[in-house]
Amino acid sequence: MTNPATNLFEDGKRTILVADDEFINREILSQMLKDDYDIITAEDGEQAYEIIKTHSKTISLVLLDLIMPKIGGLELLSTIKNQNEYSGIPVIVLTTDQESEVVSLNTGASDFIPKPYPRQSVVKARIHRAIELSEDRQIISDTQNDIITGLYNGEYFYEYAEAFDKYHPETDMDAIVLGINNYQVLLERYGKEKCIELLSLIAGELKKQYPQDEAILCHKEMDLFFIYCHHREDHAEKLQNVSHAVDLVFSGVKLKMGIYKQIDKNLELRNRFVRARMAYDKLQGNYHDYLYYFDDEILKKILFEEQLCSDFKTAICEEQFTVFFQPKFDITGDTPVIAGAEALVRWRHPSLDMISPGLFVPLFENNGLIYELDDYVWHKTAAMIKEWRGKFDKKIPVSVNISRAEMYDPNLANRLLNIVEENGIEISDLHLEITESAYVSDSSMIIDRVEDLRKKGFFIEMDDFGSGYSSLNMIGELPIDALKLDMLFIRSAFKNHNMKMLDIVIDIADCLEVPAIAEGVETEEQYLKLKESGCSLIQGYYFSKPLPADEFARFLQ
Amino acid sequence: MPTIEELKNYGANTDEALSRLMGNESFYLMLIPKVFDDKNFDQLSASIAEGDLDKAFEAAHSLKGVLGNLELTPILKPVIEITELLRHKEQADYAPLVEEILKQKEALMSLFTDR
Repeated sequence: MTNPATNLFEDGKRTILVADDEFINREILSQMLKDDYDIITAEDGEQAYEIIKTHSKTISLVLLDLIMPKIGGLELLSTIKNQNEYSGIPVIVLTTDQESEVVSLNTGASDFIPKPYPRQSVVKARIHRAIELSEDRQIISDTQNDIITGLYNGEYFYEYAEAFDKYHPETDMDAIVLGINNYQVLLERYGKEKCIELLSLIAGELKKQYPQDEAILCHKEMDLFFIYCHHREDHAEKLQNVSHAVDLVFSGVKLKMGIYKQIDKNLELRNRFVRARMAYDKLQGNYHDYLYYFDDEILKKILFEEQLCSDFKTAICEEQFTVFFQPKFDITGDTPVIAGAEALVRWRHPSLDMISPGLFVPLFENNGLIYELDDYVWHKTAAMIKEWRGKFDKKIPVSVNISRAEMYDPNLANRLLNIVEENGIEISDLHLEITESAYVSDSSMIIDRVEDLRKKGFFIEMDDFGSGYSSLNMIGELPIDALKLDMLFIRSAFKNHNMKMLDIVIDIADCLEVPAIAEGVETEEQYLKLKESGCSLIQGYYFSKPLPADEFARFLQ
Repeated sequence: MPTIEELKNYGANTDEALSRLMGNESFYLMLIPKVFDDKNFDQLSASIAEGDLDKAFEAAHSLKGVLGNLELTPILKPVIEITELLRHKEQADYAPLVEEILKQKEALMSLFTDR
């Protein structure tokens, strides 16, 4: 195989330094090599060292006599091999006796050429080979190591880790992912240059904590480091040491570690780090722990989620998703009156039974399947409204949930309008529940989008109010038609007997001149209190749990 | 300037030397007189006289390399001999060997100066 990089130099002569105090020896070598190489000569060790220092970037090889005045060959060899900027230059030692050959090779010589010199062809071949090897090695070293940290980069890391396993099949190993908390924020705060310093500081500390003979280190990407090391129990201590050293320079920087310990060697190397990464991901949004071990619980959850994703298409085709309806009652009069419903999705999985939307909705929001699921639910709901319109006189609106991810779809309004049209219902029949946190994430864009939906005639209920972080300042400007109080908010208010906050939230709705809707109402006490506080609508087990469409129909008769 | 034939008669392994020098006879003939200027001959005899065997070894060692490359066997042979003795710092009488080396050097020089 030809190395494409070496072709770049095909027409260019490389430079060789010939260091020998004997004129005749220098002359013979120069004569042998001058057609193929540019030759620089040095008459003693000192001169040779000066030339190496000034020409280190252009010298491809040094031919070095061992016995020279001022600085001896062996001494010079060890000097240049111990300095990073010169150690990459290959050195071939010129020697009269075999005893020196072994010493020279051990000191870092690439090869030796005996005196008297062999034929030109032999000398040239040895030189050619030494230069080629060193250049290949240089290319590998340039590509295998990350420029910022000097650690291996991803691909080479896996290669070396695999090689390590091959020669240590019995050694217990740990796979570790180490990351920097809020790196993006640090980038903003310190700037790129400082963050590069931070990365190389961490790399340096990791090298101290995980010495080369028992660990392979990698700067995987941006703020992530991979460590593949002998199994040990003191990672927490090591993490603390690295964190401490980092904290001295960058105060407030937090490092986190996900560990898959005593890895299963039957598992592919990359997958071992996928597991470490799973453990690491558990630390996201967790402000107490800095270290997490992979365990079967994580795996179970991941496998469960994977199954849900892979079963999704079939579930849609086979209509395993069912829409349930939970009634909303108007409690402003003397007796509660049915005034609406919320459409809620349930998954009747053939082997996992009924799966709660809390388990699959966040998952599908993350991977984009939510669009298909929402379409399905909206269609089924609209079709059901249409069916009820034909059967019953009572006309109530039904609300559907618009997940946060949907707010980024510029086509959202059209999709909803199509559904209304296709099913022959009115826009006012289909209410939209948009969670409070959706408004906060990218507010101006989202607010415009909601405003647009509202202009087209949709009734907007702000869902989960009290769980997000809307500022009071902003709430007055939000385009909403109803405030839906977060279920947990209501629950904790009653549990702690703290009705003040509840009153305030209902007052906010009042102030915005929109109805307050309470969900999760379970007891008569709650119902009465909410009625007293001025809450308009109530949804919850106190009246009815979510029901299949045919059972729900009794509310419409 | 001697001919290659004369150098061969003197005892040099000219075939081997010329194969090393890519068959370039004039290059060979140009290099040999450089041997006469080599300071290591003086250094060798001076160091032996002073009893500094380390220095003597370095000088002999260097000469061995040069003479070997030029295959000047008559001088090379006693140089190899003295190098090995000096390497092990043998307590030997070095004077005859030095004498032999200088004698063979003179013999070679005469080939270059006698005409």
